[in-house]
Amino acid sequence: MKVTVLQENLSRGVNIVSRAVSPRSTLPVLGNILMATDDGRLRLSATNLEMGITCWIAARIEGEGSTTVPARTLSDLVNTLPVDNVQLNLDARTQNLNVRCGTTNADIKCIDAQDFPPMPSIDLDGAVQLNVAEFKEMIQQVTFAASTDEARPVLMGVLLTVDKDNVTMAAADGFRLSVRKATLATHTQRPFNLIIPARALNELARVATEGEEPVYMAVPKGRNQVIFRYKDVEVTSQLIDGSFPDYQQIIPRSFKSRTLVSTAALVKACKQAEIFAREGMNVARLDIRQAKGEMQPSEVEISAVSEETGKNETIVEATVDGTGLLIAFNVKFLREALEVIRTPNVVLETSAPNAPGVVKPVGDDSFLHVIMPMHV
Amino acid sequence: MTIRVLSPDVASQISAGEVIERPASVVKELVENALDAGARSISITIQDAGKRLIEVADDGSGIPAEELELSVTRHATSKLVEAHELFQITSLGFRGEALASIASVSRLSLTSRVEQGKTAARLKVDGGKTGKVESTGAPRGTVVNVQDLFYNVPARLKFLKSDSTERRVIDSLVTRYALAYPNVRIKFSVDSTVTLQTTGDGDRRSILSALYGAESATQMLDVLAEETSMKLYGFISPLSLTRSNRRDIAFFVNGRWIQDIPLSTALVQAYHTLLMVGRYPLASLFLEIAPEQVDVNVHPAKAEIRFREPDKVFSFVQRAARRALLAYSPVPQVSQPNWGQTWSQTDPGWILAHPEDHPLDRAPQVPNSYPAASPSGVQVTGSNLAQSEFAQIPLLRLIGQVGATYLVAEGPDGLYLIDQHAAHERILFEKIIDQHASSKVASQVLLAPVVLDLSGSQASLLQENLEVLGQLGFVIEEFGPASFQIRAVPVIFNSSNASAAIRAVVEDFEEDETPLKSEIELRLAGRVCKGMAVKAGQVLSIEEQKNLLSNLEACRSPRTCPHGRPTMIHLSVDLLEKQFGRRGPR
Ligand SMILES: Nc1ncnc2c1ncn2[C@@H]1O[C@H](COP(=O)(O)OP(=O)(O)OP(=O)(O)O)[C@@H](O)[C@H]1O
Ligand SMILES: [Mg+2]
Repeated sequence: MKVTVLQENLSRGVNIVSRAVSPRSTLPVLGNILMATDDGRLRLSATNLEMGITCWIAARIEGEGSTTVPARTLSDLVNTLPVDNVQLNLDARTQNLNVRCGTTNADIKCIDAQDFPPMPSIDLDGAVQLNVAEFKEMIQQVTFAASTDEARPVLMGVLLTVDKDNVTMAAADGFRLSVRKATLATHTQRPFNLIIPARALNELARVATEGEEPVYMAVPKGRNQVIFRYKDVEVTSQLIDGSFPDYQQIIPRSFKSRTLVSTAALVKACKQAEIFAREGMNVARLDIRQAKGEMQPSEVEISAVSEETGKNETIVEATVDGTGLLIAFNVKFLREALEVIRTPNVVLETSAPNAPGVVKPVGDDSFLHVIMPMHV
Repeated sequence: MTIRVLSPDVASQISAGEVIERPASVVKELVENALDAGARSISITIQDAGKRLIEVADDGSGIPAEELELSVTRHATSKLVEAHELFQITSLGFRGEALASIASVSRLSLTSRVEQGKTAARLKVDGGKTGKVESTGAPRGTVVNVQDLFYNVPARLKFLKSDSTERRVIDSLVTRYALAYPNVRIKFSVDSTVTLQTTGDGDRRSILSALYGAESATQMLDVLAEETSMKLYGFISPLSLTRSNRRDIAFFVNGRWIQDIPLSTALVQAYHTLLMVGRYPLASLFLEIAPEQVDVNVHPAKAEIRFREPDKVFSFVQRAARRALLAYSPVPQVSQPNWGQTWSQTDPGWILAHPEDHPLDRAPQVPNSYPAASPSGVQVTGSNLAQSEFAQIPLLRLIGQVGATYLVAEGPDGLYLIDQHAAHERILFEKIIDQHASSKVASQVLLAPVVLDLSGSQASLLQENLEVLGQLGFVIEEFGPASFQIRAVPVIFNSSNASAAIRAVVEDFEEDETPLKSEIELRLAGRVCKGMAVKAGQVLSIEEQKNLLSNLEACRSPRTCPHGRPTMIHLSVDLLEKQFGRRGPR
């Protein structure tokens, strides 16, 4: 293999795929980045067997070939090279990769590419197309609610459902549920659903920088995998087996009290409460109060108490429909849900101190978040 | 000696009463008879937890055909004639009651052949009605076959615990006897699977793992002490291995398993101040004492005895245990003599590069009298041993995680290795107990209730403890006959595995037959925390590791988990310097 690439391109590619490298794996080759000539470009891939990332970069190819390069060594070296042409020259017999750039001349010991697990490639026919900005937002709005507890692997994933021109993402740990819907530009033939590890989606959101091109999503037949393609990057992930809980049942159909507040004001109040609540058990009390008289505003008082730190109360102006209520939430959960809401106003629907609360952006039906209260 | 009916005068002096309470009592009597008959090999078979069948076959002396009928007669024994012999008993049996009692509540068949006998003889007794003696073929020895126990006393049947509990009781009885008689080959089959088979080669250590599980068995410490007219040997647990009850403390006095509260108290006192409150050691101890020093005729089931000089015996037991304890198990600090031993056992990779060159490895691994002879910088005496175990820990700086199981941290006085699971257990435990104590329990409602299906007896156990669980922050509701719904969990548990934790609680209660009321809460909390704590093998983020450390620092008893195991090992700067040869021993 003999190729010439631009340092910036190589550096960007190596940094993108490095996220999938598993340095502590018992398989040494998984600590390496696959480097292969591929149809006039240089392909870089890394995988930890659960998730793989591939990135293609422009290259001048003088000789075809492939190898796997230790990821740390490669990225540390490439990041210090001058912005110039980098010549990569592999001695296939010794698996020695010679790297030349400016006055730098380095030899890296590599492992044969044959040892590298095969990476599936995407078939763009029949792939679902998603708007990149919207898709990134969907990911941000649900993955934070996924569980990190290995006891229930299904909940470490995000349920992605595609039906006709609707796509829905849902994630839940034992205590909260986030659901976000969107519309597809094209109709899908057959409905399907997948459970994708939240981690893989977060990686995808990282590499998918803003742009006009769509994100492609495909599910190769017979493999328990999903592949995403955005521009010159592909992210492959194993799917999580199992059945996702029927979350529709969890979403309350009615409410007794509907509280409309400024999103920013409520986020701020939550952050202040969290300063005190985090010492204890993250409990914040929301006292939803109806207007006392004609000219009085209704309001929500958010309060937290800590044995050590002290206590805090913040009043946020609100429009309260229905009855007043005193309810406690894990303030971190509440804050995290509010922070992914883009609209200036938000409503909180509640029914009883021990019944779930629902958080919805005002004027936007695409997102909803269910949060379970605390008993104090 | 032939079997004779005791004179009414002698018989009346024998402590009698309910001899057969449960299947395990039958097994105990039959095994003791076999041992009294000098058996070298005993085979015990049970079916349906002993309710359908208990059979004990031995190769002992046998019963002559003409004495078979007498053997199932009340107050007929070959082991005693005169009343004064009652104070000199060397056999396990002496009342002549066991076989008669068993025969009256079961279908019993007795097959036996003595050395000189041409054939064997068989006698069947059905609910106390004795049949005819028939001759039959059988090897030397005795086979007692007991079927349908309590078939004619249904009230008794009702009082039996679940099959698994009855089986467990028999199993631990047989295993304990196997341990007490390592020279007898003992085979135990449960529903046609052999669950225990000893070789009879006299090696007790190999039997220990059947009793405690392989992991705990290797940790058990040897006890051996002798004094005029008394000898104590056996095994006790190190400080790191404890239980929440005394059930694993067993004493044999002159080959007889006895349940003697003062004796086990003497042992527990040997651990005094070394164990957390509510924690008890494990022990299998064998006391040999002149027969005239004990009165075995005080309890109908022979489970209790009376010592002629109890104080002398107790203090002997206590001293012997304390000595073994101090010799083998200093605090969780890695002390020098312990160092080479500990690491070389766990992982050869930790052995120093040239152990033979190292002066420390030539030091005796187990000093005779630990505190005085300790050559290490870590001076540990009996009393500050206890203190250091409960003392606060210094501020720690996280270094990282090892093997997804331990955290490594640096303190002002050296290196700390922390067991993440044990540490997390401790943290959760203190939080849940504190919240409970200040009645500021907060629970987090679950998104979807978790359904828990239990067996009937488990369900009633859970039922009984719902209130305490509620006080700890669980909201559990009944949901069908043996089904429950967990609706909320204590806030400190951010794990979604509530059902596993509750199930573990129930199983724990099932194990224990008489949990003390005052201990229930702590037990429950401890058990729940164990189920909810991070497991060994779980990779933690740097953030999680730091949290764990700072939470542990805030604990009142950060050095042990609620079950008494150490949460951390400390390698002092001093020790490190010596180990690396930077400084010779002072
Ligand atoms: N396995 C056996 N081998 C030889 N003899 C036996 C065996 N089992 C019972 N015997 C004889 O039967 C007699 C009666 O047994 P049983 O168990 O009823 O009374 P015991 O052992 O004398 O006293 P205890 O009631 O205290 O057990 C014994 O004294 C013994 O002679
Ligand atoms: Mg007997």
